Amino acid sequence: MAQTTVQPPPEAGSARVLPSRAGRPRRSAERSRTRFAYWLIAPAVAFMVLIHLLPTTAGFLLSFKRLNTFTFAQLFDAPWTGLDNYSGILFDEANPLRSGFFGAVQNTVVYTFWTVGLTLGLGLAIALLLNREMRGMRLVRTLMLTPWIVPSFVVAVLWQFMWQSDVGIINKVLVDYTHLLGERPIWLLGENSMWAIVIPSVWRGIPFAMIFFLAGLQAMPRELHEAAAIDGAGPIKRFRYITFPLLRPLIAIQLLFGVIYAAYQFAIPYIMLGTNPGPDADLMMTLIYRQSFQNNLFGFGAAASTLLMIAMFVWVLVWYRAFKRDLEAVT
Amino acid sequence: MSARWINRGLDALTWLVLALMLAPIFWLVVSALQTDGQLATGAMNLLDPTFTAFTRMWDSVDFERYLLNSLIICTVAALCATAFASLAGYALARFKFRGATGLSLGVIGTQLIPGSLFLLPVFMGFIWLKQNTPIALFDTHLGMILVYTAFFTPVAIYFMRYFFLAIPKDLEEAAMVDGCTRFGAFVKIVLPAAAPGLVATFVYAFLFAWDELLFVAALTQENAETIPIGIRNFIGNYQERTAQLMAAGVISTLPVLIAFFATQRWLVKGITAGAVKG
Repeated sequence: MAQTTVQPPPEAGSARVLPSRAGRPRRSAERSRTRFAYWLIAPAVAFMVLIHLLPTTAGFLLSFKRLNTFTFAQLFDAPWTGLDNYSGILFDEANPLRSGFFGAVQNTVVYTFWTVGLTLGLGLAIALLLNREMRGMRLVRTLMLTPWIVPSFVVAVLWQFMWQSDVGIINKVLVDYTHLLGERPIWLLGENSMWAIVIPSVWRGIPFAMIFFLAGLQAMPRELHEAAAIDGAGPIKRFRYITFPLLRPLIAIQLLFGVIYAAYQFAIPYIMLGTNPGPDADLMMTLIYRQSFQNNLFGFGAAASTLLMIAMFVWVLVWYRAFKRDLEAVT
Repeated sequence: MSARWINRGLDALTWLVLALMLAPIFWLVVSALQTDGQLATGAMNLLDPTFTAFTRMWDSVDFERYLLNSLIICTVAALCATAFASLAGYALARFKFRGATGLSLGVIGTQLIPGSLFLLPVFMGFIWLKQNTPIALFDTHLGMILVYTAFFTPVAIYFMRYFFLAIPKDLEEAAMVDGCTRFGAFVKIVLPAAAPGLVATFVYAFLFAWDELLFVAALTQENAETIPIGIRNFIGNYQERTAQLMAAGVISTLPVLIAFFATQRWLVKGITAGAVKG
């Protein structure tokens, strides 16, 4: 496959920089440049159409089909059911899938809120801490990135072990060594299981937020802070009125993608808590995967995925309205 | 005087935060060097490390196969994504053409689609191809490579576009005056100048492909399963062998860790491209 990209497009060879015979050399050069650009984007576009655009359209259409164990053999020829999948999820009180769906929606909102909030907050705090001069700072900055490299599925097995109630290191530290808690909490079941997936996600996400903020902090002109300091502004005021406003575009970008990635989280709950993470930690993606590929309710899965995508489009619109000014400031 | 003490306190805090962030990784390595029995009872002895968990894990599951599959699929997919993205990224960085804005929006748009929505049709398409044509994509390396290439091309385009924008235009123009074709100038002049960017993009795509679980869980059965599936199967069959599981965790982190630290400087530049205007 790689070879196809190395071959020069046939037109490129014959295209001259300055064709002299044409009456309007400029326009012709322009045309050859454009043609060249189209050749360059062709492979990427082909892949995006084949594996993103077409399947997404097909997935949207499948959400209007009755696709389950009995009709799966027909593949794309399964019978149409109109809006049944949607109305079943959203309005049919008798549908057993409905409560599971709303539970997962609620869990995903809670998970996304805490994961993104804590990741950005702590990432910014650590970035401020690392944006100082100290012996060994370069080493600290590099090592601080390590959690981000640990694959999510390893994060999940590692933290599952650490969360164990009786032999896990976390309860040992909290209960046996420091006596912060009197009783050993159960982390992997019930109410606490939400924290059992939020905290590792935050741990893995912090380094990414941190380098992003750190790069922003280092690009900031020093004179602003120095001038403010001369005028008598303390560190808190300087952060409030200089640093924070300048970081707003970075916060905006991270919020946008952070929310999308968190809402689509799959690996951590799936590996840590199993195919069914339970009513307290079942997220949208674990629910959709389970219902589609374990219970063969493909129609339900497609409809739930479509609703999730619509929710994300709404989020992007809300985000755009909220941060429009900051984005204009950057570009 | 007090400012100095505050600074010392912040230095100490910095090291403390670093220790906290690295503690889980330390725990992963330490646990992998114990035996399953020690982890089950909690009677760990950190001063007596042993590699038995690593050798036993290798016998428990066919880890070699998962590792090999991951290496093949992720390497080829990351290479293809980098190749396609460098072409498209160059087009976006240097040329004005109709549809350029559309392409940029489409690139972001792909990030908005939940995997589960296009996974279903891809899965059904692969099954259909298997049943009706000789094209084998379901549970094959090729199938996973195609999917991952498509997955990571969009983000890679943003990376490469940024790196190309940093290269002065004069270089190519000079080469073209000397008789190079447009494509020749791109291959001989621009690509070498963007080598750090190519490496960073490749590693970034590789890291993400290494981490992918949703698609490989649905699109493979036994031939093309990668490490995350190996780990899942391991939990399913030998949940009590915790030390072996931690050893598997260490082994599956090592390749990406090495790749990351070898290219860390360029990678960070690529990631933070959006943060600092350049």
